[in-house]
Amino acid sequence: MADQATFEDDVTEFLPQLYSAALRMTRNPADAEDILQEALLKAYRGYHTFHAGTNLRAWLYRILTNTFINRYRRKTRRPAEVELGELEDLYLFQRMGEDGPGGAVRSAEDEALESIVDDDIKTALESLPENFRIPVLLADVEGFSYKEIAEIMDTPIGTVMSRLHRGRKALQKALWEFAEQRGIAGP
Amino acid sequence: MNCHEAHAQLYTFIDGETTAIRRLRIRWHLHRCPPCGDGFRFEERLKARVRQICRDEMPPELANRLMTFIREHDSDGSVG
Repeated sequence: MADQATFEDDVTEFLPQLYSAALRMTRNPADAEDILQEALLKAYRGYHTFHAGTNLRAWLYRILTNTFINRYRRKTRRPAEVELGELEDLYLFQRMGEDGPGGAVRSAEDEALESIVDDDIKTALESLPENFRIPVLLADVEGFSYKEIAEIMDTPIGTVMSRLHRGRKALQKALWEFAEQRGIAGP
Repeated sequence: MNCHEAHAQLYTFIDGETTAIRRLRIRWHLHRCPPCGDGFRFEERLKARVRQICRDEMPPELANRLMTFIREHDSDGSVG
């Protein structure tokens, strides 16, 4: 059992990363602040149910994720589950690698990777449907394990893996589209 | 292990979610197959890049605002 009196001290270190995750989920600062506030209040009120010494960070992300999903589904009335078409392995690598001169393939790929614009990465992540965006966010940005993500999303681990893997390919497809629009393939 | 089998384990490999023995087998394949080696390295770097870019700073006064909100709603039953 965790003590409500220590809540503020216990959670403060996680606030910046929770805010950043909320921002990737909601895509705008006002909504991010809103769901973070609601999630923190829920966490505070339910803090007696948290077992001190277990994974506080994952527990907080679980509450944040639930808060987002409940709000978002109510607000947009969009279907909760979106499917992605099948995408090949190494989607971006196969395309960016092709433009490199033969013999210097690896450095061409390094350049290609570096040429991806920062904002395009954020936009690509935020463009993913929610059921793919959350596992990619939790794994790639927040560094959670598959098991932790399964607990945070209350989803079987196999489903987490399939969504994460397909979400990453969809992210690469979006990055490739942005790169083409910017004419990164070269003069 | 062939390229197809290696690709099927790409993400569990870069996420560190595979067994030690599978890891070794994949590493051995990547060592012997430069195109797969380059592809896996590319995926690892892309993942690192996503992590590096997709973190935003929290507005400096937000932590205080959130904690004040919690204190104000301490014994109040309604959620904002």
